[in-house]
Amino acid sequence: MQTKTKELDPILEVNNLFASTEDLPILKGVTISVNPGEIHAIMGRNGCGKSTLSKIIAGHPSYKITKGEIKFTGQDIKSLEPEERAQSGIFLGFQYPIEIPGVSNLEFLRVATNARRKFLKKEELDTFDFEDLVREKLDLVKMDSAFLSRSINQGFSGGEKKRNEILQMALLEPKIAILDETDSGLDIDALRIVASGIKKISNENTGIILITHYQRLLEEIKPDYVHVMSDGQIIKTGESDLALELEKHGYEWTDNFTKEF
Amino acid sequence: MHIIEEIKKNELVRNPSEIQKICLDKLKLNPLPNIKSELWRLSNKSKFSSFLDFSNINKESRMSLPYKNISPNIIRLIIGENSSINLEEETYSIRKLKDSEIIKYIKKNISNFDQNDHWSDLLNHCLSSKSNILGLNISGNQVPPIEIFSSSSSECFNAKTLILFCEKNCKVDLLQINIGNKNSSLSQSTYLCLEENTTINHGVVSYGEKKSNLLNSLNVIQKEKSNYSLGSIHFKFNYARFEIRINQLKGAAKTTIKGIQITKKNDQIATYTKIKFNGPNGFVDQINKSLADDKSHAIFEGAIIVPKVAQKTNASQLSRNLLISRHAKIDTKPQLEIIADDVKCKHGATISQLNEEELFYMRSRGLTLAEASKLQLSSYFKEIIECIPISKDRWDLLDVLLQEN
Amino acid sequence: MVNQNLVKGVVSEPYKYGFVTDIETEKISKGLNENTIRLISAKKEEPEFLLNFRLNAFRKWQKMEEPNWADLGYKEIDYQDIIYYSAPKQKEKISSLDEVDPKLLETFDKLGIPLTEQKKLTNVAVDAVFDSVSIATTFRKELAEHGVIFCSISEAVKDYSDLIEKYLGSVVPANDNYFAALNSAVFSDGSFVYIPKGVKCPMDLSSYFRINSGDSGQFERTLIIAEESSSVSYLEGCTAPMFDTNTLHAAVVELIALDDSSIKYSTVQNWYAGNEEGVGGIFNFVTKRGKCLGKRSKISWSQVETGSAITWKYPSCLLLGEESVGEFYSVALTNNLQQADTGTKMIHIGPKTKSTIVSKGISAGNSVNSYRGLVKMGSKASGSRNYSQCDSMLIGDQASANTFPYIQSQQPNSEIEHEASTCRISEDQLFYLQSRGIEFEEAVSMMVSGFCRDVFNQLPMEFAAEADKLLSLKLEGSVG
Repeated sequence: MQTKTKELDPILEVNNLFASTEDLPILKGVTISVNPGEIHAIMGRNGCGKSTLSKIIAGHPSYKITKGEIKFTGQDIKSLEPEERAQSGIFLGFQYPIEIPGVSNLEFLRVATNARRKFLKKEELDTFDFEDLVREKLDLVKMDSAFLSRSINQGFSGGEKKRNEILQMALLEPKIAILDETDSGLDIDALRIVASGIKKISNENTGIILITHYQRLLEEIKPDYVHVMSDGQIIKTGESDLALELEKHGYEWTDNFTKEF
Repeated sequence: MHIIEEIKKNELVRNPSEIQKICLDKLKLNPLPNIKSELWRLSNKSKFSSFLDFSNINKESRMSLPYKNISPNIIRLIIGENSSINLEEETYSIRKLKDSEIIKYIKKNISNFDQNDHWSDLLNHCLSSKSNILGLNISGNQVPPIEIFSSSSSECFNAKTLILFCEKNCKVDLLQINIGNKNSSLSQSTYLCLEENTTINHGVVSYGEKKSNLLNSLNVIQKEKSNYSLGSIHFKFNYARFEIRINQLKGAAKTTIKGIQITKKNDQIATYTKIKFNGPNGFVDQINKSLADDKSHAIFEGAIIVPKVAQKTNASQLSRNLLISRHAKIDTKPQLEIIADDVKCKHGATISQLNEEELFYMRSRGLTLAEASKLQLSSYFKEIIECIPISKDRWDLLDVLLQEN
Repeated sequence: MVNQNLVKGVVSEPYKYGFVTDIETEKISKGLNENTIRLISAKKEEPEFLLNFRLNAFRKWQKMEEPNWADLGYKEIDYQDIIYYSAPKQKEKISSLDEVDPKLLETFDKLGIPLTEQKKLTNVAVDAVFDSVSIATTFRKELAEHGVIFCSISEAVKDYSDLIEKYLGSVVPANDNYFAALNSAVFSDGSFVYIPKGVKCPMDLSSYFRINSGDSGQFERTLIIAEESSSVSYLEGCTAPMFDTNTLHAAVVELIALDDSSIKYSTVQNWYAGNEEGVGGIFNFVTKRGKCLGKRSKISWSQVETGSAITWKYPSCLLLGEESVGEFYSVALTNNLQQADTGTKMIHIGPKTKSTIVSKGISAGNSVNSYRGLVKMGSKASGSRNYSQCDSMLIGDQASANTFPYIQSQQPNSEIEHEASTCRISEDQLFYLQSRGIEFEEAVSMMVSGFCRDVFNQLPMEFAAEADKLLSLKLEGSVG
């Protein structure tokens, strides 16, 4: 698959990636390339491998890459630990952010932010400076500072969890953000807040991959490319109007596609 | 402790059977359990001793059954009486075990017994004569419900044994009814072996009359994919112990235990459970309830043991207790012993009284305190009794018994 | 799957307080008999009532059996092979800190407990105990202005003998248990605190216990009395050098709280735990008990137990006064071959008494970590309540976690609630933290301290930070 040629090198390149979990093949040759400033959408039915792709890019230990490569800013990242990937600027927004009782959200955000800043050779922030930063970012996702004193995601509503993910994205300033169904479970107001947060955080140097079932989020954030995934492969790639067609015809429409490459 | 004296003097049983001989020899050396051990420390010493204070052993009078068998569908057996049965039907079979099978099975078990843990079974086998041992082999998935009665006669100590093998894929409802007559002691030992893929819905209803005692020991062995569900109720005994040992031989089985004990007057009733997982993916859900009134004492001690082999075990144990008299006493000790790390285990215990807010609500709607309490109590029992495979007509009787003082 | 071995690897950290101070000590010879006790008592110039107290305890101890119900596995202790009195040689009378052997001051400096006037911790008064004797107590003058007595128990025996005679052994009787009886017979030093009526102690009080000799046992004794409407927060820390022999530590702590008073007693226990093969380490057999004598009095125990080869300890509360309150907050971390059997006893005697138990056990390596607790509602404890929560975290598949709650009620108008759970660090939680750039080690230690948070919240500020640091240290190490 070839995207719009730009002078810049791609941020993320996934080449013919095969992966499995517990010997069950999930990805069967995925290729995707994201350049700075681009927004990609990956659509597809449940179980097509979308979430798996995002977790593999983030380095989830449950999956094994059997073939292919993942390059981040030109470097193969297959052997990197999840935290090394995160520190170097890969961000995964989880579909189901996990609850971690007892661990304070604020402390967690501070440690994560400092780990990223350390990588960027920026000065690490002490508690007071960090609180200033976090309050500024809280505004982006319209969250109350009361969130900070709670345990990570514990007792958060679905919408609050998703906003907490975007807050983390804002703090970590990733080069690429993969947002796995960030729109699911959100009402229309929450969706707008999340979408505007994402838009404010991204710029001409960052790449974004939106994983979603629905057109809804894509109305708020217009993608440059839309990929349709089925059975561990990308079976069609088009521009943003592809999402509209999908919405119109449903996924059955894609059943007739064969792999394009 | 007449019985213990006789054991020591080797004069308890004339012409003992092979099994009796083995057990008598074991007990002769060490005739009493260690009263300081966790299993026995709360046992009331004088009650325990009165339990053993009978010179009439197994003297049988015919049992009068508490209710008639109105449903021809139910198979009814009385240990020590009409227990001869052999049914070969198209969809199931019930066969009486041969003496040789019974002897082989009990001998195998005894060899692994720890004197303290299995004291109740050892005593049972010392005293349970051949005619008081019922052994059954069941197969098929359309077995009719089975009721098994066991009782002690007045002024007597009776020992009765039940052994039940469930063949693969068998499914059965089994109700055991243990009745203690006035001033008597009953020792009941039960062995259930669940082969792979079997389902037993087991009910145990035990109640006594004035000054009756019960030592009820239940040993369950579960193979993979078996499903064992127990609902039990013990009430109206001067002294009763219900010991449950569940062994999931290779894990991967399901166990559900719901039991209640009701103590009034000067009763002491105790439930001890030990659930062991010898393989991964086992499941247990246990609730034990106690209700203690007057000057009585209710005891629950439950252990769940999850060794290293038992990864992915899911175990939950709850002890819920109601203490409704100022002179009554409740002891409870739910315990977890875990070595495997990938497990979900939890336990909980509460001791409280009837919910005052609820009582008040009902009284403000015109119910008397007694009526409101009764309603609350019956909802408290209900969760347990629903798990006892027992038909409606019998439940009415149980209800009457529960209301009696 | 998360490599649980990796997690396991994180939980080992070399013991950093394992140095020995080379100092001349005065020791009496090994062994225990009536003469040993007379000798100890004479060395401490004790009044006769105390010698009798000791002898009486010794005679009782001789008739008692060492307990074995906790299933702790250890080699039999030879009580005749222990030195019962060991003290660094010093000038007879020390009038100021300047006269204390600099080596001793240096030792406490190295342990992070500076004692000298220039360096001493602000806001915390410290009583430093080295082997069998108290070396120094800071801030005495400041405390005295408020009428607070904070000194070594040996001094208290001389200066406040009426208080000692009245209260010593009143909470933990000499024949309470085997180790308490032994302590009552041979106790060497420890701390004494007296808070007069109506006084809120102006600063935290702290004792720091250091075992230095390899062959002597440590038998300290602490007595804290809070008069009506007073309050105090007391902290206790412990370390010991690394020896390949086992050292016995059998302490007794007694707390007495009168009407409307409150005592908060916090411990960070980091005795040497032995090496990875289980050689050496402290046997920590301790009896701690508080008596809420007065109405609305409150005793709160919090402990962070990370050291010792074996811990056997049940800080307890006797809730006698109406509406008195008992609390127990505990974190116990065991690794390698450590064994910990710890918990509490909440004995509700008076009406409307309340108790709360929160216990967090973390077991790693081949260790055994047990919670054992008793909650008892006596027949007069009408309107009383207890809530207990016991959580275990297992790291690796060789460690074991046990929960033994003994619950007893004789009072219908009371409520007892107990909850327990077992968990491990979940793969998904770890991944979530790692995917935000947090290092594996840090992620594990964050989760462990998150698991312990309910307890850390109860510790005094300085201690909470120290406890957190201690846990992360224990969790630090080689990530393969």
